Amino acid sequence: MRVDDGETVRSGRVVDARHLDLSRTEVVAAIRGDAAGVTVECPEPGPAHERVGDVHPALSVSIRGVLAAAARSRGHTVPQDDRIAEVESELADVTVPAASTRPARADVADRADDVERLDERVAELRGRVQALRERDAEADEAEAELAAAMRDLTEAQTELIAARERHDAATETARAARDARERRMELEDRLANLRRAAREALADAIAEEYRDAVAAAPWATPADPFEAGDVTAALAAARVADLCAPVVLSCDHFADPTTAADWLDAAVLRL
Amino acid sequence: MLLVVTYSRAARQTLRNACEAHEETVVRRFGRAALFEETEFGAFLAVRLRAEYGVDVQVERTEPLNEFETVPDEVREAARAYADREHASTPYAKFATGDDHPEPAAMKDREL
Repeated sequence: MRVDDGETVRSGRVVDARHLDLSRTEVVAAIRGDAAGVTVECPEPGPAHERVGDVHPALSVSIRGVLAAAARSRGHTVPQDDRIAEVESELADVTVPAASTRPARADVADRADDVERLDERVAELRGRVQALRERDAEADEAEAELAAAMRDLTEAQTELIAARERHDAATETARAARDARERRMELEDRLANLRRAAREALADAIAEEYRDAVAAAPWATPADPFEAGDVTAALAAARVADLCAPVVLSCDHFADPTTAADWLDAAVLRL
Repeated sequence: MLLVVTYSRAARQTLRNACEAHEETVVRRFGRAALFEETEFGAFLAVRLRAEYGVDVQVERTEPLNEFETVPDEVREAARAYADREHASTPYAKFATGDDHPEPAAMKDREL
């Protein structure tokens, strides 16, 4: 690898950058090909690097998860792989119509409000016209207003009926669209189950090597490797994995970076 | 009651969380669906899911069915007679023709 922070250039299988002021996130981003204030030229990191390529004291890992990633890096495959690919392609083929009923729902409510408001207005005007007539007063203007309000009411009622019909139609479409959604969810569930099973199978495939790696650690480790702490688990998985890109180490588990690189059988960038 | 049915994994998970957090409002849970009390809070939970997941959440308002009030006599009687049929294996369509009960196709065409 070749590390260039703009001032200093370091290269080799092992780079000790402890005295340089490099941020871990920047270095990891540079290795993974994201924009960063530092350049790290190295081979492409595989998926295992994402899990165990950045080992620091606050790391949190799922042991079975990192073991599965390590097994993948070694080219292990599992019987579930074909089925996973199939389900993924089925899932890609599922088209889910949008079919929102929200505008139709809101429209019905608005139209119903209009009808209610106009209904009250008609009742009120009717009362006024009647009162004027009882007093033998001039009612022409009030009658004209009443007639206009009644026309508005009829129109609003027609619009409410139309809005209800549109809502019914939208609800029907949404129900039909849910068949596709249901299918999508079933496939997603199946995919999640297959991936879980694949992860377990992959982890099982290298569990023995992982056990040996934990036992071979030059620091104190628990008798049960599956009880190991996050950093121990990540380092042991990294040793088992086939890592092309350098492992970024920010922990004090090894005497020096070269010892770490030898133990991990990987390039090491020590921060 | 309010029937809430979810159609995505994320919506289902949020529904589960809501059910766990608000047991008093949940009348019944069925995997990816639940019945909420018909209260403002039940509506709040349902609408909140709908706001977050849109069409992935279906909300229906349910009410108990009183067949004596809503279901025509002949349909109710057919149901009763079919429940009491002699041979468990007789399909309803066949049972109906023999005993002058409404045809399934005809019933399907009539709204309740």
